[in-house]
Amino acid sequence: MEPSRDDFVIAVRSAFLRKGNQQKFSLLSLILFSIIFLILGNYNFKIINFNKIVIKEIIYYSSFIVNLPENTIKKSFNKISDHFDHYDDYLITKNQLKELKDKDLEKKIIIFENVELKKLIDDYFVEDGQAFAKVLIDKESPFLRSIVINKGSRNGVKEGMAVYDDIYLVGKVVEVNFLTSRVLLISDINSKVPITVQPLNIQGIMSGLGQRSGQLQYINKEKINNDNDEKLIVVTSGVGGIFRSGIPIGEINSTDILLGKKLIVNYYKDFSQLKYVKISSHKKENINIDQSNKAIFKANNKQIAKMNSQSKDIKVLRQQKIINEEVQRKLQSDNTRLKKYLTDTQTKLIESNKKINAVQKKSEDLEFLELNLSYGHKCRKTMFRSHLFKVGTDEYRNCVLNRGPIKKN
Amino acid sequence: MSKHFLYKYTPVFLLFMSILNEIDFNLEFKYFSFNFVYILIFYYSLKREGGIGYILIFIAGLFNDVINGLPMGISSLSYLLLCVSAAYLRNITLRPSLIKDWISFLISILILNFITYTYLILFFNYEINYLYQTSNIIGTFLLYYIFSYIFKFYNDFVLGKYK
Repeated sequence: MEPSRDDFVIAVRSAFLRKGNQQKFSLLSLILFSIIFLILGNYNFKIINFNKIVIKEIIYYSSFIVNLPENTIKKSFNKISDHFDHYDDYLITKNQLKELKDKDLEKKIIIFENVELKKLIDDYFVEDGQAFAKVLIDKESPFLRSIVINKGSRNGVKEGMAVYDDIYLVGKVVEVNFLTSRVLLISDINSKVPITVQPLNIQGIMSGLGQRSGQLQYINKEKINNDNDEKLIVVTSGVGGIFRSGIPIGEINSTDILLGKKLIVNYYKDFSQLKYVKISSHKKENINIDQSNKAIFKANNKQIAKMNSQSKDIKVLRQQKIINEEVQRKLQSDNTRLKKYLTDTQTKLIESNKKINAVQKKSEDLEFLELNLSYGHKCRKTMFRSHLFKVGTDEYRNCVLNRGPIKKN
Repeated sequence: MSKHFLYKYTPVFLLFMSILNEIDFNLEFKYFSFNFVYILIFYYSLKREGGIGYILIFIAGLFNDVINGLPMGISSLSYLLLCVSAAYLRNITLRPSLIKDWISFLISILILNFITYTYLILFFNYEINYLYQTSNIIGTFLLYYIFSYIFKFYNDFVLGKYK
């Protein structure tokens, strides 16, 4: 049922004019009031402006007061969080500084050692020849895993040269022609590569399995464990002088270690995807260290030893410092305790002295009284002996203690 | 503090706090804002006859104008018009329904915003960000539904209907 026009008028009238239980103004009157406010606000009437200023002042102050607790909380919170941040920063910086100080010395030692070792390695292995070749044939034969490259004896390729893809070992040259060569891949079953398992530093021989993996042979399996969950990397050991040491080959399958199976090495490289390879050979060179080098090594070794000892000394000194601090703390506490004891003793002493003095005085008094009984009459001033002393005076007391007046010669 | 005191003065307190406080409820996210005062006034004018006194609403409007730097009386007018709308709706409603209230609220705020913006543009040469105002109207409209539940829950809670 739709409301009639009369109903609408009644509802509107009621909405505008009806006052609630505690309302003093109807809505209509207030609306008219606000419209008047608005209209008069357009014209700069003095009374309106004055009212505006008064209302603004009241409201600004009210707003300020209402916001006081909130602002105080905000400020306090910001202050506290700032303090905490500063403290955290301070702790971090302190720790970092300590670590850096420690590391600085260690770093110096490592740098020196590194320089030494590098020198040694560079002197030991010298690159003999190097060439880049394109893979001509890499057809997988069921019997031989090998590739044919487009470099031969004309380019200086020799039998036994190591072949790399990027930094990884691929194989070695087994057949050299004038323009081409054949490379036996390390995945071939006939390939035997002397290897080292890092970081355990265990030596062994790796043989190919004809697939993307190899097998470790002649290796002490008992020593191989994976307690630290580190990857066991297989690199060339350099034994035999064909390959230089440290060329990465692959990783040991960790599940094989756990199950105690044959140790399988997963190669880093897929040998079926080879396009270009690097051929290089390394020869073992006798280390001819001349006298000047020897002197440098000696000096460096000395410096390393010195720094090592310094770092040890620093550690010892640090421990000593901690101990000293503890001792100092103990001594301070002892000192405080002793000071207190001394003060107490002094107080006691003073009290004892006072008591002794009192006792002495008492005994003197007693002696005086005793002597007074015996010799008092000899010292007391009377009508006939006016040269003597009045009772209670110091002279009388001295006279009694002296057991009579002092005779004058 | 008696239940009736809380019941009566909580909306007044909220109204003045939301106007006077720096963190008013007109939150300004990039694409979202809403006018809490509109929701509060409409809800309490609709649900309670003279829920927040008209005089107090008028004064709150003046306060809002001063704080926001609007011409004096504009907010009072819009708040009172909202009260008129709520009172009219209350008079014609026999069976209250939240959805009807909600739609009426949308119509009311559209009309009174129209009046306010027209007045501001015509007489005071104000520039209005229509995108912001639109999002404000939509936000206010959408949140009315949620706030009406919150207010109802609060009123029932204060009057001890959950005991």
